[in-house]
Amino acid sequence: MVGLIFGSIPGLTFSMALALMLPFTFGMQTTPALGLLLGVYVGGMTGGSVSAILLGIPGTPSAAATVFDGYPMARKGEASVALGAAVIASTFGGLFSLVVMMLLLEQVAAVAIKFGPAEIFALVLFGLSTICGMAERSMLRGLIAGTLGLMLMIIGLDELDGVARLTFGTVQMQQGVNLLVAMIGLFAVPQIISTFMHYGRIEPFKMPADVRARLPSFRQLKDRLWLMVRCSGIGTGIGAIPGTGGPIAAFLAYDHARRFDRTPENYGKGELSGVVAPESANNAVTGGTMIPLLSLGIPGDPATAVILGGLLVHGLYPGPMLFRTHLELIYALYVSIVLAYVVILVVQLWGIRIFVKVLSVPPHVLAVCIIVLCGLGSYAIRNSIFDVYLMAVMGLFGYILQRVRIPVAPIVLGLVLGETLEKQYRTALIMTEGDYAVFYTSGVALFFFGLTALTIGLQLRSSLRRRPAVE
Amino acid sequence: MRLDRVDRWLGPCLLVLAIVWLWLVFAFIPGARGEGEPGPRAFPVLLGIVLVLLGGFVTASAFLPSASSTADETGRATRREVLIAAATFGLLMLYAFLLEKLGFLIATPVVVVLAMAGILRMRNWLLVAALAGGLTAACWMFFVWLLKAPLPRGLWLM
Repeated sequence: MVGLIFGSIPGLTFSMALALMLPFTFGMQTTPALGLLLGVYVGGMTGGSVSAILLGIPGTPSAAATVFDGYPMARKGEASVALGAAVIASTFGGLFSLVVMMLLLEQVAAVAIKFGPAEIFALVLFGLSTICGMAERSMLRGLIAGTLGLMLMIIGLDELDGVARLTFGTVQMQQGVNLLVAMIGLFAVPQIISTFMHYGRIEPFKMPADVRARLPSFRQLKDRLWLMVRCSGIGTGIGAIPGTGGPIAAFLAYDHARRFDRTPENYGKGELSGVVAPESANNAVTGGTMIPLLSLGIPGDPATAVILGGLLVHGLYPGPMLFRTHLELIYALYVSIVLAYVVILVVQLWGIRIFVKVLSVPPHVLAVCIIVLCGLGSYAIRNSIFDVYLMAVMGLFGYILQRVRIPVAPIVLGLVLGETLEKQYRTALIMTEGDYAVFYTSGVALFFFGLTALTIGLQLRSSLRRRPAVE
Repeated sequence: MRLDRVDRWLGPCLLVLAIVWLWLVFAFIPGARGEGEPGPRAFPVLLGIVLVLLGGFVTASAFLPSASSTADETGRATRREVLIAAATFGLLMLYAFLLEKLGFLIATPVVVVLAMAGILRMRNWLLVAALAGGLTAACWMFFVWLLKAPLPRGLWLM
C-alpha cells in the first residue's frame, strides 16, 4: 500500500518510499522485513499507472509511456478499462518475470561462487559503469556524481586497516555516511524544496468522476496475451541489465507494440495495447532486477540499491553464498513477490476509488508530512540525532546538485558499491603481494572489464549522438 | 556559441573541492604499510585525481569555445528559491536540534507550524493546528504504539 501510494503520487518516488520504510524493518524478523521492502517496490512500480491514466501525470518515470494512451482513454470515458487493463498487465508482467527469475537465479549464482577478489572487483566495476546509463543526459555529470558518491563512502573507519578516514576525531563519523540517511536526504529534501517553491503556482489536482477500476473484457485481454508475453520478456531482459530500469523497458515495449500492430495510427489516441505493453514491461523489470541483485549483489537502479541496503542491514550478503546459507529466504522472497502482486491486484481493482483520493491531498501538505518522516526515518536508523543533521546536510547537497544538473542516482550507486570495490581491489593486491597480473590473467575479470568498456563505449556514443547542435 | 553558465563555476568549484580533498587525504590518512600494497590512502587519492580530471574537463568545456557543447538550460536561482531552500535546510537543522533538546512531542508540532506558517505563509490557523496535532499524534501512534520504535524524548534543555 505504501509503495502504491508513493508510486501513484507524482513527484514521490518509490525509491523514497523504500528509503523511508527501511528503518521500520529494523525491529522486524528478516522475512517480513524483506516482504515489506519488496511489497513497497512492487507496489510503487504498479502505482505509477494510476495518476498516469487519470491525470496524465506519470506517478513514476516507469509509467511515463503509459500516459500516451492511458490518458486519452480516460478522456474518452474509458478510465476504468485502462486502469483495469493496467493492473492486470502489471500483475502478468510481474509474475512472468518472477518465473524467469526462479529459473535463472541459481544458475547465475553457481557461476558466481567461483569468483575471487579480482573477479568481484571487475564485476563491481562493471556495476559502477552503469552510472553512465543512470546519468540521464550527460555522462560527464554522471561520472562526477559517481565520484562524489565514492568520496562520501571513504569517510569512516577503513575496514581493512581499521584507520579512521576523514572523521576529524568525531565518534559519530567513524560509522561513516549511512547509506539510508544519505538517500533520504538526497531524494526527499530537493522534492520538498521544489514543492514549497511551486506552492500557490500550480493548480490542485481535479479528480475525474469515473475512477472505478473495471476489468476489460476477456476478448480484449485474449487478443493482447501474446503482446503481454513479449513485453514481459523485454522488461525482464532489460531489468536484468544493471543501470537500465523501468522507464527504458516501458518505452521499448511501447515502441515494440506500436511497430508490430496492424493499426499503429491508433497509438497516442487511446489504444488499449498502448497501456498493456508498457505496464507489463515495467513491472517485469521487478523480477529482472532481482537476478543481478541476488546472484551478484549488483543493484540495477536506485530502488534496488535501497533493497540491497535492506538486505545488508539484516545481515544478508547477496551473492552465491546466499543460496547456501539462506535458501529459505530466497523462497520467502518468491512468495513475498507473488503475495505483493496478488494484494496489489485486489487492492487496485476494489479500492481505487478510495485510494486515489490521496491524489487530492495538496502537495504542500504532503511535503510538510515528509519533512517529519525524513527526520524520524533518519533518527530511527541508528537512534542518532547526528543522522538527522546529516540528512539535512545531504538534502542541501542533493538540492545543489540538482540545480547544477548533476543526477543523484549515481551517488547512491557509488555509496552502495564503493566499499566492495575498494575492499576487493586491495584484497586482491594484498593476496598477490602487489602483483597487478591478478587482474589481467583471470578470464572472468577480463570478461567483466570488457563489458565495462563496452557499456562506457556505447553510452559515450549515444551521449555524443544526443548532443544538441550548438549555435 | 552559448557557453554553459553553470559549468563556468561548477568546473572551478570541483577543482577546488578536489584539491582540498587531496590535501585532507595526505594530511589525515596514513599511507600503505607494505611495499606495493595499496593502503587506506590509495583509493581516496585516486578519487581526488579523478575529480581533478573531471573538474578540469568541465572547466575546459565551459571556457573553451571549441569544446563547449551543452546549452544552458538551468535558469538562475531566484531570490525566492534561494530563500526557500535556505529556510527548508534551516528548518531541518532546527528539527534535529529540537528533537534532541525538547523531544519528538514538542519538536514536531513546532516544525509543522513553522513550515506552514513560516515558509508557506499559510494563515488558515485551523488547518495548521490540525495538521500539527494530527501528524504528531499519527506518528506517535505509528512509531511508538505499532512499531515499538523509540522516539527522542528530549534532554529538556540540559
